[in-house]
Amino acid sequence: MFNFRDSPQTSKQRDGHHATGDACDDDTPFAEISGPMKTVTSPESRLRLFEELILPHLNSAHNLARWMTRNDQDAQDVVQESYLRAFRFFDSYRGGDGKAWLLEVVRNTCFTFQRREMRKSTGVVFDEAAHTPSVHQPNAEDALVEAGNREILRLCIASLPEPFREVLVMRELEEMSYRQIAEVVGVPPGTVMSRLSRARKRLEECAKSRNMESYR
Amino acid sequence: MNCSLDVIEAYLDEELDPDSIASVEDHLSGCRSCSETFTRFRAQKANIRSTAPYYTAPPQLQQAVRKALRQAAADHPQPAGGSPPWRWLAIAATVLLAVSVSWNVRPTQHPITETDPLPENIVSDHIRSLIGTHLLDVPSSDQHTVKPWFNGKLDFSPEVKDFASQGFPLIGGRLEYLMGRPVAALVYQRRQHIINVFTWPASAAKSERSFARNGYVALHWNRGSMTFWAVSDISSMELAQFESLYEK
Repeated sequence: MFNFRDSPQTSKQRDGHHATGDACDDDTPFAEISGPMKTVTSPESRLRLFEELILPHLNSAHNLARWMTRNDQDAQDVVQESYLRAFRFFDSYRGGDGKAWLLEVVRNTCFTFQRREMRKSTGVVFDEAAHTPSVHQPNAEDALVEAGNREILRLCIASLPEPFREVLVMRELEEMSYRQIAEVVGVPPGTVMSRLSRARKRLEECAKSRNMESYR
Repeated sequence: MNCSLDVIEAYLDEELDPDSIASVEDHLSGCRSCSETFTRFRAQKANIRSTAPYYTAPPQLQQAVRKALRQAAADHPQPAGGSPPWRWLAIAATVLLAVSVSWNVRPTQHPITETDPLPENIVSDHIRSLIGTHLLDVPSSDQHTVKPWFNGKLDFSPEVKDFASQGFPLIGGRLEYLMGRPVAALVYQRRQHIINVFTWPASAAKSERSFARNGYVALHWNRGSMTFWAVSDISSMELAQFESLYEK
């Protein structure tokens, strides 16, 4: 049978160990690389450590939030709120993969945010596909074709249902391993795998139906 | 090997161990259909990575986040052994006064620390409720049973909500004595875990705090004139999710 690698490290962006992000199920006092966590003594050094370990993942946080909310302003609000939340829970961060830990907060904040917005707007969900014109001349110049491809790809990813969209973004744009994504989403790696697979198939169908250059 | 899309995708995602990789490569070289599938998905992957937008954070967002963090650090310092600012001493002194008035003999196994004893007490209370036989005075999943039960037992009427549909069912309530005053304890269940929510009228300024000890997480927030402490052994993220339900 086929075995998965034990180590989830695949990407060049890997920056630490497998995430814990969980204050409770893991009894190891601190992951072995998290020496600095033990020596936090003042609020100033707590902030400094947070800025050092968690702030560098700002782009990842924003990218995920932007793909999930599909809106610039919402993404920024979500990121800001996520960072404040993460800072509050920083004591429960046990070292390890700061990126997965942060993205778990971002994802939860997105859901909280969406629930709040949905109540405000009496349940009308923004449908990006319905708001974006998809007219692209098949015989346009190369640059236009390329811009069109990019737009179609963006639209197709954006219109994926959320469970598929988030795993695809984390896998292909954040280059995270199945296991890291599983941490963030809170499902087994096998589920990540099957969602990813369905995301790819849907994306392929969407791109085909929109006549994407590279799928002709 | 049979044709398996899962394995091909795992291979594409570099998630297989070396033995499996060899086996898949062997198969791909002989199976035209799998090889085509692989090529298609590999092209898609390359296309996404090269073409799909990656939304980097705008520069002003980084500045805003840094500023908000500094503000948060200044507003709610969480000293973990260093000398706490005066306002923490003030809070601690107030609470200690309440404790010494209400409990003439204070248990000595917990020496007075320079930090706020309230979160410690919250966690201890939670643990006590689990090891004893006194988790529930009023076992009920009906908020309209639990809320009136507190009538006449407290000088306030606690807000009781049920989140069964969101995976945090209410299982009851009890009367609790905390920091020198009777408070309402509302008990929720999350899978096999118990969440205690302590609530009483707040006099303190608005502040949000979290506290973690020995695998327990406590989360504090204020809402209206009430103060809330939720404590459990679930993850801090789940507890935050619970809090956001409460704050709706």
